[in-house]
Parts: sequence; structure tokens; C-alpha cells
Amino acid sequence: MRKASLAKRINKSRSLYVMILPCMIFTFIFSYYPLTGWIMAFENFKPAKGYWGSKFVGLDQFRFLFDDFEFWRAFRNTVAMSLLNLVFGFLFAIVFALLLNEIRHTGFKRITQTVSYLPHFLSWVIVCALVQSMLASDGIVNNVIRALGITDKPILFLGEPGYFWWVVVFANVWKEMGWNSIIYIAAISGIDPALYEAAELDGAGRFRRMWHVTLPGIRSTIVVLLIMNLGSILNAGFEVQYLLGSNGLLVDVSQTIDIFVLKYGMSIGNYSLATAAGMFKTVISVTLVFGANAIANRFGETSLM
Amino acid sequence: MSKRFLAILLSLVMLFSLVSVAGGEASSDPTNIYGGLAPLDDAGDPITFTIFVRDPGTEPAADNPVLKKIAELTGVTIKFEFLVGDLDTRLGVMMAGEEYPDAVFAGDASMRLIDAGAFIPLEDEIPKYQNLNAMYGGCIDSLKAEDGHAYELEMYSVFRGNTVVDQSPIFECGLGFYIQKAVLEDAGYVIPRTLDEYFDIIEAYLAKYPEIDGVKTSGFEILCDGWRNWALLNPAQNLMGDANDGAMFVDYQTYEPAFYQDTETAYNLYKKLNEEFRKGVISAETLTMSYDQYISKLTTGAVLGFYDQGWNFGSAVDLLKADGKFNRTFVSVPITNPGVRDGYIEGKNPDGALPTGLNGIGITTKCKNPERLLKFYDWLLQRDVQDYILWGVEGEDWVKTESGSKAFTDARRALWRDSARRRDETGYTVWNYSPAWQGLYKSDGAPVRNDDSAGEYLASQSEYDQSFLKGYGIEYPAEMHSEPIVRPDYFPVWAMSLEDGSPAAVANAKITDVTTKYDSRLVLAEDDAAFDKIWEEFLTEFHAINLDALKDEVTRQIALKMGF
Repeated sequence: MRKASLAKRINKSRSLYVMILPCMIFTFIFSYYPLTGWIMAFENFKPAKGYWGSKFVGLDQFRFLFDDFEFWRAFRNTVAMSLLNLVFGFLFAIVFALLLNEIRHTGFKRITQTVSYLPHFLSWVIVCALVQSMLASDGIVNNVIRALGITDKPILFLGEPGYFWWVVVFANVWKEMGWNSIIYIAAISGIDPALYEAAELDGAGRFRRMWHVTLPGIRSTIVVLLIMNLGSILNAGFEVQYLLGSNGLLVDVSQTIDIFVLKYGMSIGNYSLATAAGMFKTVISVTLVFGANAIANRFGETSLM
Repeated sequence: MSKRFLAILLSLVMLFSLVSVAGGEASSDPTNIYGGLAPLDDAGDPITFTIFVRDPGTEPAADNPVLKKIAELTGVTIKFEFLVGDLDTRLGVMMAGEEYPDAVFAGDASMRLIDAGAFIPLEDEIPKYQNLNAMYGGCIDSLKAEDGHAYELEMYSVFRGNTVVDQSPIFECGLGFYIQKAVLEDAGYVIPRTLDEYFDIIEAYLAKYPEIDGVKTSGFEILCDGWRNWALLNPAQNLMGDANDGAMFVDYQTYEPAFYQDTETAYNLYKKLNEEFRKGVISAETLTMSYDQYISKLTTGAVLGFYDQGWNFGSAVDLLKADGKFNRTFVSVPITNPGVRDGYIEGKNPDGALPTGLNGIGITTKCKNPERLLKFYDWLLQRDVQDYILWGVEGEDWVKTESGSKAFTDARRALWRDSARRRDETGYTVWNYSPAWQGLYKSDGAPVRNDDSAGEYLASQSEYDQSFLKGYGIEYPAEMHSEPIVRPDYFPVWAMSLEDGSPAAVANAKITDVTTKYDSRLVLAEDDAAFDKIWEEFLTEFHAINLDALKDEVTRQIALKMGF
């Protein structure tokens, strides 16, 4: 009975199914088929021997990862920097979008918005070179600090482990704030102007309107983005840490999982280890996304699934 | 109209150059088996070979006069496919589709192509070609991969058992503790031999000149940026008398490898660097510098000393020279532990070097005509052809010096130093990516390349450099060091390939990690107590690495190469 009705239903909307078929094939080929490569994580994979010729070693690669103190340090760094980036990235993008929304002068608003998202198009190599020269002992930051008389000795920003995570956060915020705020600005423009008028009639000032109208209006956008970003919490980025933090003084706080994998997986040809680490990251990410989604559901928020 | 005029002019020029070359040198060198710069029988049948090269680069201009002439005489045109992007990715794509060009120069990465069966075996082909056989015949067994076949026409060396060339002399030491020439001049042309002496004269100069050309003088720089980490990690082995061996120090009596990272020499080295840091001779920033920052700092001429390898800072020296600041360029001095003989210079084995079997051109299974490519290479190896490509025309491009050596004319030297003009106006690119001689010709001692020529080395020195060398009473900077020691066949450890993902490879990566981390902290330690505490921590973490895995593998490979 049920099967028949399913067939009937499919038949009814067959044109829709036909339309989605190419996408499903595409997703299968590029997202699911490559997952067969995960078998490498349980082998001692040698490219010349292929999947079927390489030696099966069970969980040895995972054991190597989890036994290594360095890996857990890399794990800590990754999560810490991700969380900081997430919190500050969200905060700055939302506040920026709110402030921009309050600007009345359209020309100024547009220019500010354009200028703010330009850094997004610079590659990390360039941004890191900029950051590096800004933070150098004779760079602009140190010059300003010295001119203000806060300290007479230049601060070694890129040699002090305590500063590094903040340097990364600063670089990320500077580069991505404008870009990330675009989606909020779009969401804000979808809010019904009548709500603002009503609030104004009720005597709400600017900040009150922001708090009671704008923010609730983009709450669902924020939640959806948060859920999606939680999925990439184990991708703290790779370039900034690699380009700014590879010196010996910082390596304890800068090495992320990706850099660990590059060093002990790709560079020395241990593709199995790289795959194992990738699997580990995926499992955690999927768990986090579903977890956040469930929580959002429970609190009655719009959720992804 | 003007086109026709140009064509006539061009053909006249070419005719003239043909005549002048043919008339200029009629040497009877035994390598000239095809009659030197004479056409081959099949020159009338044009063929184009595509060669993939592992370096980024640019193809020579289509109207390159030398390459045109070579094509005319041999019928062969070489088209280069230079690397764009990542080498491993490019090779992966090539292997996956078995879409090989006619030949490939992939350096160390050739191993993957050999494993994939991309190359044709050459051990039976080489003896059929007289000049190729003169080059590789004496060492063909070393050219063979583990499966017993030779796949590569190796380049860039004087090979053992070759019948044409000898090693050329060494003019400069390629690595070590460098010091600005002005500092040595100021100190009265002394040669510092220990770290104490080295830093003493740097400190004296620093006190005398706190600024150079308006820039704050920097005493000593240590670059440690990513893989360019040798300034921090390597010097201890040199202080113990070795050249650049790698992660291990090898005793030439017993051939037993040992780690130098945890020795007393290493302790004293970092202690000294730490002292200099606390005196302000070394700034903390040096350890966080990027390579670009380092090079631009050297370019100011205000850096007095640093440890490096010559090729790594060549661009800075070129700029200093272009600015006319010859006294701000650098020279390597023989710093060792007191009483230890310095071994910075890798002596060239007078018998020639053994090939690695990897660093050369491999002819692929898809090559459209391997016989003609090999014959082309054989033709190129004629002395007249090599001289024509590398030196040009006598009198016009080069002259004989008083001592019987060769030197460029000023115009040719300027052309050769300008890499774009060298590419478009000479046959350098083809020469550089083909089997070629180097060193000195056995028959008359003439240099193969300008880099092999004592006459050219001296002629290219600035007036300042000449007076600097006169101050020491020496002819070449290399003479500040002891006589070069010829290295055993295993040398060096850093070139040994460790099996992918093996415990030795993991240990090697860990050693780099741990030493980079702790050595930088040692240099920046606050006081003696902190220094000793960091050293203790370092020893604990260093010995936690599976050091024996690497040591056993290096021992095994030394035994293999030395034939124990």
C-alpha cells in the first residue's frame, strides 16, 4: 500500500525528480564517491600499490595520532583559535552590519561597505605579509605604542606565545568582517519598515530599535550561520598559522591540526595518516552540526534540518 | 617593403655569424664526432620534442638566434613545458593519464615517474652514442635504479670515469658564518676562527658604527622561516668540522653517524648566541623574520654577520652590487671549535662524482623518436657546440686571459647576467636542461662554463673585491678556509631519501620540530638559569624522539653507498 503511494507521489512530481537528478549525480560523484578513499586511513597506503595492494593496518594510523602529545596540542590550538574566530568574527560582523544600517547617507554607506569587504579578496599570503610588517619592531603598531609612551622597548608581537591567538583573531576580523556582514545587511533590508515605524511611535530610540527590531529580525540568520560555522570548528584555518606562527617561539600555540597533518602526513608521504586525521575532523564536525541543530530545534529556533 | 628589407638583413646577419663561427675555431677535439657545428644527416627532417621541466620558467623567444641555428643544423627544436603550480600535482596528473611529454626533468621527484614506469631504460642505448658514453660510460652502474635499469641522463656534475672533463677549482665557500667585508677590512684583514673571535670583531665594529647609511646596524641575523631553518639548526656540525651533512654528524674514521643537536658544542653555540642576544648584538626579532624581511634587511648593507648558504641570499648580494656597495657584501669565514680543522667547503672528488640516478632527463615511453633525441644530445655534447652556446665567438664575446683561461667581454658578461637576455639571445635554456659538460676539459685545461673559469672569476671581480683579496694576499675567497676535504661517497645525509611514512621519516620531522622550538628559546633565554632550564627540557623532549630509527636508517644507507 505504502509503496504504491510512494510511487504515485514520485510519478506525480516526476518533473521535479528529473530536475534534481543531475544534482544528485553530481553530489554523488564529487562528494560521496571520493569517500571510498577513506579506506586509506586503515592501510599503510603506498600510491604505487593502490587501494587494494597496500597493507591493511587497522587502527594503527589513529593510534599514532591519538598517542602523540603534539596532536592534542594541535587539537587544542585549533579549537581555541576557531572559537575565538567564531565569537569575534560574528560579533564584529553583526555590530558592523547594525551600525552600517543606521547610516542615512547612501553614498557614504556604500563606500564604507565596499572598502570593508575588499580585504576579503586579498590572499592570506599578502595579508600575513602586511600583518608581519605592521607588527615588526619598527612597524606601525610599535611606533604608535612608543610614541604614546606606553613602552620604550618594542614589543615582539610575533615572538610572544601569549599574543599569537589574538594576532590571528585580529587578522581574521580585519580580513573577513566586511564580507561576513554582507549577509546580515541583506537580512536587515528584509525587515518590514512598518516595524520600525511602530517602534518609533512607541517612543523607541535608535538603540532600542536596534535591540528590539533589527536583532530579532536577523536572529534566524544568525542561528543558521552559527550552526553552519560550528561544522567547521576544526578548520581554524591554515595559512595564517603557517605563515605567521611557524617560528620556534610560537610553534606550541600556532600548530593546528592541518599543519600537523601537513608535517607528518603529506610532507613525509604518509597519506594514510592525513586521511585518518581528515576522518577524525569530519566525524567531530558532523557531530557538532547535528548537536547544534538539535539544540536550536529545542529552543524553537529555525534550524537547518 | 620593410619586411623584405628586414628579412634580407636577418639572413645576412645569420650568414655572417655562420661564417665567423666556422672560420673562428676549427678545433680537433675528440668530442667533435659530428664535425662540430656541422649539420646532421637528418637535419632536413624537422622534429619537435617537448620536455617538461620541474622549475618555473619562461620559454626562450621564438627568434632566439642560437636556438634557430641549432634547429637548422640538427632539425631538432626543443619545446619546454615549465612548471606552473605544484610539481607533485602536475606529475600526478601526468601519471594518472599516462600523458607524458617526450622527456621529463623532474629532479628528485623522478622516483615517482620511475616507479610508474614512465621512462624507457637507457643502459643499452648510451654505449651506442660516443659522447653520451664518454659522459656516463664510466659510472653507468650508479645510474641504475633498484630494478637494474638506468632511466636518467643525469645533469650538473662531473661524473666519475668520464673521459672528457676534470673538476674545476673552488672559488668561494658556499656556506657558513658570513661577515661583511668592511668589518674584516676595519679589523685589519684578520681571519676569525672561533665564535669568540667572530663576535669580538663584530661587536667592535658595531660599537664604532651604530648606523650604516642611516640604518641601525645589526650585529648578527638568524633566519628561521619554515624550511629555511639551517641558520638556527645546523651550525653545530660545522663547528665540529663537518660541512653541511644534514641532521647528523658523521665521523669519517668509523663512518658512524651521531646527533650533534644535544652535544656540548651545541650547548656552547646557543649559549654564545644567547650572550650576544643579551648584549644586543642579536635582536629577538631575527627569529620571527620572514625570508623577505631577511633579504631586504641584508640589502640595506647594515647587517654585519649571519649564518647561511650562499644561494639563499644571492639576490641581496646582487642588489648590493648593483648599488655599488661592494664593501657591504659578505664572505664566509672558517669558524670552528678551537683547534678543530674547518671543513665548510665540500671538496670535489678529483675522480668525479657518482650520479644519483635521479637528477636528470628521463626519456618517456611516449617519446616520438628516442633515437633522434639521444643523437641530438650526443651532438650537443661536442665541445665546439658547448663552446658556441656558453662562450660565443672569440674576440667578440670572450677573450683568452694571460694565464690561458677564458673571460667574457664586458658586453657578453652584461648579457649573461641579465637572465631575460640570456634566455632570449643565447642557447642557455637548452644547454641548462640537456646533458652537458662542466669543469675543465682534460685535453687543454680550458673551462667548460664561465663558472668554471678562473680567468672569468677574476675578471668579474670589482675593484673593491680585488683590493680586499689583496689585503689577505689570496686569489680567491675560498683560500680563507682550509684545503677542501673530499667527501666520501655517502655524502650528504640530507640527500638520503627516507621511505614515505617510515619511522625514520617521522623521527626526522620530529627532530626538526623539537630543535626549531627549543633552539630559538635558548637564544632568547632571559638569564643563565633560564637557559639551563630550557636546555634540560630540550634534552628530555629530544631524547623522547625515536632517534635510533633515523640513526639505523642513515647507518644502513651509508654502508650501502660506501659498499661496506
